[in-house]
Amino acid sequence: MRNDFQILNTLVKYVVAAGVLLLVVCPILFGGLTAYALQRQADEIITFKDANGRSIDVRLPVKGIVVLTSDALEAIRAIKAEGLVKGVNSGISKDPLFWPELKNRPSVGSWRNPNYELIAELNPDIVIGYAGRPGPVMERKLSSFGIQVVRLDFYKILALKREVEILGQILNREKEAGELIDWYHKRLDLIQKRLQQIRYRPHVYVESYSKYHTTGPCSGGNEMCVLAGGCNIAEGFSIPYPEVTPEWVLVKNPQVIIKAAAITNAYAVTGSGPLKEIRKDIMARPAWDHIRAVQEGKVYVMESSIWTGPRAIIGVSYMARWFHPDIFRDLDPEGLHREYLERFQGIEYRGAFVD
Amino acid sequence: MEDISKQFKGLTRRKLTFLVLLVAGLFCVAFVALTLGPASVGFKGSFEALLGGSGTAHAIIWKLRLPRMVMAILAGSGLALAGTVFQAILRNPLASPYTLGIASSAGFGAVTAIVFSAGFCSEYHIAGSAFIFALISSFFILGIAKLKSATPETMILAGIAIMFFFSSLSSLFQYMGTMEEVQEIVFWFFGSLSKVGWGEISMAGAMILLPAPILLKWSWDFNLLAGGDDSAKALGVNVESIRRYGIVLASLVTAGAICFTGVIGFVGLVSPHITRMVIGSDHRFLLPSSMLIGAILVLSADIVGRTLWAPQVIPIGIVTSFIGVPFFLYLLMKRQRDYW
Repeated sequence: MRNDFQILNTLVKYVVAAGVLLLVVCPILFGGLTAYALQRQADEIITFKDANGRSIDVRLPVKGIVVLTSDALEAIRAIKAEGLVKGVNSGISKDPLFWPELKNRPSVGSWRNPNYELIAELNPDIVIGYAGRPGPVMERKLSSFGIQVVRLDFYKILALKREVEILGQILNREKEAGELIDWYHKRLDLIQKRLQQIRYRPHVYVESYSKYHTTGPCSGGNEMCVLAGGCNIAEGFSIPYPEVTPEWVLVKNPQVIIKAAAITNAYAVTGSGPLKEIRKDIMARPAWDHIRAVQEGKVYVMESSIWTGPRAIIGVSYMARWFHPDIFRDLDPEGLHREYLERFQGIEYRGAFVD
Repeated sequence: MEDISKQFKGLTRRKLTFLVLLVAGLFCVAFVALTLGPASVGFKGSFEALLGGSGTAHAIIWKLRLPRMVMAILAGSGLALAGTVFQAILRNPLASPYTLGIASSAGFGAVTAIVFSAGFCSEYHIAGSAFIFALISSFFILGIAKLKSATPETMILAGIAIMFFFSSLSSLFQYMGTMEEVQEIVFWFFGSLSKVGWGEISMAGAMILLPAPILLKWSWDFNLLAGGDDSAKALGVNVESIRRYGIVLASLVTAGAICFTGVIGFVGLVSPHITRMVIGSDHRFLLPSSMLIGAILVLSADIVGRTLWAPQVIPIGIVTSFIGVPFFLYLLMKRQRDYW
């Protein structure tokens, strides 16, 4: 009887000891596994195709970035990752109202030809630039410092979703990137859905920043015009920004004329005076009083901030309203712009962008 | 003696015939320029619209085709006149509005207007700025000309230095500029005849046509300058004065030709040479013939530029070189003896 009790007692001791052991070992084991998993995540390499279709590897987490383009910088601020920005292009400090928290970040020079020594000194994990500029020299110069070049444009409206997704993954802001994409595509889808109901597409002459240089295929202006339900009279051209004669525009007799204008620091400008002058100049062009758009006053000037780039959806909304006032009567591009600036950029709405 | 007189008369007749042929050629090219375009106006319609009437056809001819044609003639003849004068007074075949830095400084003037206009920049802003900078460079060359030791070679070298200086300044502004500004600058340097209306033509016309009679009047002096400064002085030419005012007037003509159209290259250099190859160096015929060659060259280039790839326009500055360079090289190779 006693022996039985001793055996039971010993058994209980072993069970308790095993329990204690399990309690001690398991957390260590799980902790180790978790730590291992975290370590793996820390060393995770994300692979994606950049704006040139090139396969790029970026080691996560990204702790510092140098941003060469204001389009990319706007996208980064929209997904609340501006804290990671270590350096910007020299143009950012010239627009302090629009970039209040980024205006004092170190400048690395021009967006087309940055100072690689300054970039190396800032020691970022990645540098973001346009697909074409700066040239391949950037990769050659920065690879020796272990800095990865990521080429994302953020100005082509249809590529924007994919590029913001990539940005969200790289900068660990997937939720914020998702919110921006949702907001963006809800507006774009609404416009496309309504446009499906009608077949009418007004003929539009879209003029880029230079006089008599239109926007052909592969240009942002053409993409926006088509998305807004317009028929670009230069859609069948072979180059993006060709010169045309004023006579050709007159012969095509467009129903709407859209002109892109770049006003320095448009966000800081109060009143649409400069845009009005540009519109007046177009209306007074020789012989253009024979064009339908001029006769009907359907000549519109759009500032470059909403022309292409992350805010192109605002520009598309304005165009949709101008092209199809009947079906987009309730569309409020200015309200949309206000919402975007306040919600995604954290700045108040101001400036003049259309006339 | 009679033979020499006959020979001289024969040569003069040849030069006059060439001049008449050029005038006829210019009329033919102008006729094509006036009747060719995307609008289906036609030959008859073009002339009817030219002579009167109203409506779209009249507006197309009077407000679009005619100003374009007139500006092409003005710019071409102005650049050719300036080139011929520069070559004569500096006695150098390389002298042209470009090698003297006047075109580069005008270009820099345009760049300055584009960059500092904060987005709103009219044609008049650009043209005014281009004109001012063209004059600055010409006064600089004039300052050098005033130096006692300044030879024509010194002035050419100074001009080349100015060209590089203003080209570098333009590049610096492009480097600092935004994407939109860079686009506008690049297109301005390509040259364009689309932007001109009668207002621009009246200003450019005054700058080109007012100095032209004075320069044409100096033809004999330019002829005597070819023999060297000393012999020209001995024959009563005020060399310093001709050189000084010749540069200022030719710069004014250059500024008038390019400030509204942008850079139209090669015409100022090549037109005098083409003419010289055909009729020699008598400036009484060389100056007007060179002007006509320049006008024909730019007008033909414009016709080619707007029809070859229609409705897209190949910029005038590109086409003038495309047409002018092979033609010039052909004449250069064909020519057996030295013409300069």
